Amino acid sequence: MNKLKLTELGIKDSRDLLNKKEISAAELTNAYIQNIKESTKLNAFIEKTFNIALMQASRADKLIGTNSQKSLCGIPLGIKDLFCCKNVKTQAASAILDNFIPPYESTVTQKLWDEQAIMLGKLNMDEFAMGSSNETSAYGPAINPWKLNDSDDLLTPGGSSGGSSAAVAANLCAAATGTDTGGSIRQPASFTGTVGLKPTYGRCSRWGIIAFASSFDQAGPITKNVIDSAIMLKAMSGFDPKDSTSAKIEVPDYEQQLDKDINGLRIGLAKEYSLEKSDSEAKRKWEHAVLLLKNMGAEIVEISLPHTEFALPTYYVLAPAEASSNLARYDGVRYGHRATLDTNDSILELYEKTRSEGFGTEVKRRILIGTYVLSSGYYDAYYKRAQKVRSLIKNDFDEVFKNVDLILTPTTPTSAFPLGSKGTQDPVEMYMNDIFTVPTNLAGLPAISLPVGLDELGLPLGVQLIGDNWQEPLLLNTAFNLENALAFESKPKNWWA
Amino acid sequence: MEIDTETVLKIARLSRIKITDSESTNIQKDLNRIVEFVKKLGEIDVDGIGEFNFGKTNLKNMRQDSDVVNDITDDILKNTKSKNQNFFTVPKIVE
Repeated sequence: MNKLKLTELGIKDSRDLLNKKEISAAELTNAYIQNIKESTKLNAFIEKTFNIALMQASRADKLIGTNSQKSLCGIPLGIKDLFCCKNVKTQAASAILDNFIPPYESTVTQKLWDEQAIMLGKLNMDEFAMGSSNETSAYGPAINPWKLNDSDDLLTPGGSSGGSSAAVAANLCAAATGTDTGGSIRQPASFTGTVGLKPTYGRCSRWGIIAFASSFDQAGPITKNVIDSAIMLKAMSGFDPKDSTSAKIEVPDYEQQLDKDINGLRIGLAKEYSLEKSDSEAKRKWEHAVLLLKNMGAEIVEISLPHTEFALPTYYVLAPAEASSNLARYDGVRYGHRATLDTNDSILELYEKTRSEGFGTEVKRRILIGTYVLSSGYYDAYYKRAQKVRSLIKNDFDEVFKNVDLILTPTTPTSAFPLGSKGTQDPVEMYMNDIFTVPTNLAGLPAISLPVGLDELGLPLGVQLIGDNWQEPLLLNTAFNLENALAFESKPKNWWA
Repeated sequence: MEIDTETVLKIARLSRIKITDSESTNIQKDLNRIVEFVKKLGEIDVDGIGEFNFGKTNLKNMRQDSDVVNDITDDILKNTKSKNQNFFTVPKIVE
């Protein structure tokens, strides 16, 4: 099998060939390494770990030789730079974590290595996962492999997990990890024609994932298809004594549950999640997805989530508040960047200069606004009020899930946009990207984005299915049925190699 | 504008982030834009609504408070820019 074909396979197909010994893990890993070497224009990997990958591949081949393989044996993965990996540079794409090498491994990545997966390197992202376009990365943005029809404009791969989505879409890894605080897995997946899953809050351990907003952050996979998402989720999930917010709930075999029809399933369409332009290709693709679900026997129900318009303001109070607290630890003393001081500078100058030099503009903005909404005199008006509105948003979902099994929405208001085109004058313009993804983070619910087709610009569009807590099996099975019915097979043209 | 120049400097100080006078104008503009955006929360009646939580903390999920031996002092110290023996060093704090 030639190099290109090999890296087009996802996890399941690679696993089948590895198990039949038609290919070796070393062969597969080398094919991905070659692709990564040829894709510097995409800026997807910010740290490459090829030596580790080749060692792991050699071990995987031995394990397969003795039939001792586990679920991800020999599968090459990319890891978002937010996951601490022992002895591997982990910088959250921030200058303040310059050259940070964790002496420990995040629980989620440890689980992947325990399943015998292979690590190709660390993937680009928005700095500390704060951003929706990958443009806040200290290493420059990852680039979307997709391009507009007849245009050389470079597009965002989405954010914050933009390196992950770009790498999966460009066949630089079989699958990637991401994290989703306000849409950071689903929006990049939607922009790149890949599948992105944000699990229920508590499904995956947050231990060793560099914290942004702890009551929102969840790890999840970005994959080429829904089966791979199921395989990755199983490997990543489970209770962890090191994270008391991870849930002691059994992890199902998601892949084994992708065989059910969806006849009789009740799917809600929320009137608050409508696309603006009624005559667009996005609207037609959306209506097509709804029709396919109907044809498979699903019952489409109109629903209302009345507090949706308050979701973004709520998020942009609470997430910065948590961030301002979480990022207090970056002081230049123990790791990362430390400012050069003048002779008489005190420890306060050490903190202030280090943080001023080390954090990028968007991160500073969020720390400042977070500090403001938590400060004396403003706490009740902003933070406390936002926590109450968060309850109302969760109540909306609780009410709706008494009547429907799943909710279907567009993942994003638009397809991928050119780099430099949004948020340069007004930060709120960029925040509006998360309008359809943020509510589920506020409520802690699981959601998956899958590609539904191309718009008139030739760019992928995604739809999102939202489930009630712990309904990942239903979510994945429904996404699997819809994926098969849609038969989306478009791929970006390879202009970067 | 809700956030004046003095407030910008105050929250910058609380955040331990040095901002220059030239940065201050843009930061003030951006922060006011965000505040204007989140002010929408004031439109909603939240009387009698509880603050959000994920439910009661399950104490069974807490790990045992027992010691764990991790001999990684050297690995941890490798990450600092300034150390002396087994200590991080910082500018003088007490006279």
